[in-house]
Parts: sequence; structure tokens; C-alpha cells
Amino acid sequence: MEKLASELLPEFFALMGIDLFLLLSLLTCLLDDRLPKAIPYIYQFAALAGFGHLLVSKNFLIVFTDYMRFWYCFIYLLVSLANIVAVNIYFAAVKKQWTLAKVWSGAVTFPTILMSIFFVSNYSYFQGVPFPLFLQIALVVSAIIMGTSVAIFLSPEALRSRFKEEKEVRE
Amino acid sequence: MKLRGKPIRKSLKFLTLLLTSMLIASVSAGMYLSLTMKSTIGVYRSNVYFVKGSDANQTGGPTLLLDSTNTTATITGLRAYPNATFTYENVTLVRNNATSGTTLIRLAPKVNPSGNATDFEYVKFMLNGTEARWLNYTVTAGSWSTPSASDWITIPTETQWSIVIMTKASATAVTGRTVTIQITVDVD
Repeated sequence: MEKLASELLPEFFALMGIDLFLLLSLLTCLLDDRLPKAIPYIYQFAALAGFGHLLVSKNFLIVFTDYMRFWYCFIYLLVSLANIVAVNIYFAAVKKQWTLAKVWSGAVTFPTILMSIFFVSNYSYFQGVPFPLFLQIALVVSAIIMGTSVAIFLSPEALRSRFKEEKEVRE
Repeated sequence: MKLRGKPIRKSLKFLTLLLTSMLIASVSAGMYLSLTMKSTIGVYRSNVYFVKGSDANQTGGPTLLLDSTNTTATITGLRAYPNATFTYENVTLVRNNATSGTTLIRLAPKVNPSGNATDFEYVKFMLNGTEARWLNYTVTAGSWSTPSASDWITIPTETQWSIVIMTKASATAVTGRTVTIQITVDVD
């Protein structure tokens, strides 16, 4: 079978990791009253490190094998996802801000994890190691459920009432 | 999460982070794009090639051998006579088979003459176009002097020009001595 021109390179995961770190940086900047002040800058540096990562990858493209390139890019993506989850846990467990934690998980954590799984499955398919069928079905089902729940849960009305409730409880 | 009502410091901080984020994201995306760039190179038949001339492969005349793509011509059996200029008018021609566009060609040396300089006075190649272009191998003080490439000339579309070859052996030339010269027809 002829491979499609749009086949992903392993560096795509590093690029995705960079974008996730940048997203984290901006979101944590907006929520800086709930998080340590240095966090947005740390994530910017992490994204910059990812750029350095791409630079090294480009210059040593011939030296590094596909296998090696995939793993170090994938690990970088995992680190960025772990940070998203960590912020989520921080809001829920440390700050006890359940509504914010739920919003974060619905709007950031699950979509990013789902997208990452989608692209990893796409990459593995082109590498000749497709995900098992039940995993692919589970992926599609979870995407549909998540999309529907996020749409319901994050409707402006619902959000407004939940934040209002949380504020009242704190007062 | 709204910026409205927040201190200006926070807005500036966010703006700075947003700008650096955009910079990092676009540079990284550019880097990834440069990794994914692919080239497709097709193989085409050259529009400029050699054609057999009327003087080639005649009895007692020079032999012309063209390769399968007609882009290499090997001429053997050329003669040079002592103190006499011998001219081959039409052994091979250069053809521009293009139907459009501008094609420039020139004569250029490829491999220096193999030796026996004392047996020759010159071997000259002339591109017989709208203007002549010369490539003259002459013997100076007992050794071959290699010419520089000729000037470029525009060869019209669907046109062929002959390469005229002139030879002259020295007065003291030894019969049977040979010289091998390689030239190229550069195309631009």
C-alpha cells in the first residue's frame, strides 16, 4: 500500500508538546491567583526546551533512528500531558476548587489526552502497528461522550451558576 | 479568568506571554514543516542533444557514436595533416528540440588533451550558429593550452547547429600519433 503524503513524523509529538506547554503557560497566567507566580514562565521555558528539542532532532535526523526519535518526542509529549493532569490534581486536591478542577478536566485535560491518543494511534497505524479494534472503538465512544458532556457541562448558564455556588460556599 | 478589572500588570504579563508563545509556536511549526518538506524530482528527456551529421560514418571518414539518449557523442577517426588545415563541416550537430522558452548553449573544455602536443598545431571546435562560438586547443611551446569556455549563445527552438572541427598537425608530426580531447556543450 502506498503511504499517504500526510504521514506524521515523530517530531509531531514534540510540536504538540510545545503547544500544550504554551497553552498551559497562558492558562496558568490567567489563573495566577490560584497558582505560584513562576509557573507560566516555567512552562514557557519548557516550550522553549521543546523547540531546542526539535532543533537537535532536525540536525541529527540521519543519526537518530525513527524509533529513537519517536520515543524522545513522545516522552516530551507525555511530560506536557502530565503537567496538565498535575495542574488538574492541584486544583482538586490542594486547592479544593472542585468546579475549576472539573472545568479544567473537561476543557483541557480530557481533550488534550484524547487528541494525543488519536495522533499516536494515527502514527502507529502508519508505522504498521494499528491499535486493536476495541481500543479504536473505545476512543471514538469516549470522544463522543466527552464532547457531549463538555458541551452540556460547560454551557455558560451552568458555569455561571456553579461558580456562583462555589463563591457563596467560600464566603 | 477575565482580564477585565484586573491590574494592568497582569494584562501586560499575559500579553508578553502570549507574544512569546506565538513566537515559539510559529518557529516550532516552521521547524516541523522544514522536516516534512519533500521534493518530487521527475526524469525528463533533454531537449538539447546531438544529431548525426552528413559527414559522419562515411567510408574513410570519421565515425560518430551516439549514446542511447544522444547526449554523448564520441567521434573517432578524425584526421590532421601536417601544415594543412583539415575541416570537418558536419560530423555532428547540436539540436534544441524545445518548442518554447530560451535555451542558451556554449562549448566548454572537459578533459585536457591526452598528449602528443608536438605532433599538432591545433584542434578547433566551432559552434556554427547565428554567431560562431569557438573552442580552440592550440599547442604553445610544445604543450597544449586549454581554452576557456566560449560565450553563451541562444539557440532558437527546434533548430540544429553543426559543430565544425578543424585540425592541423605540425610539420614534424609523426604519422599515427593521436590525441583525445573531451569537450561539453553546456546548456542553460
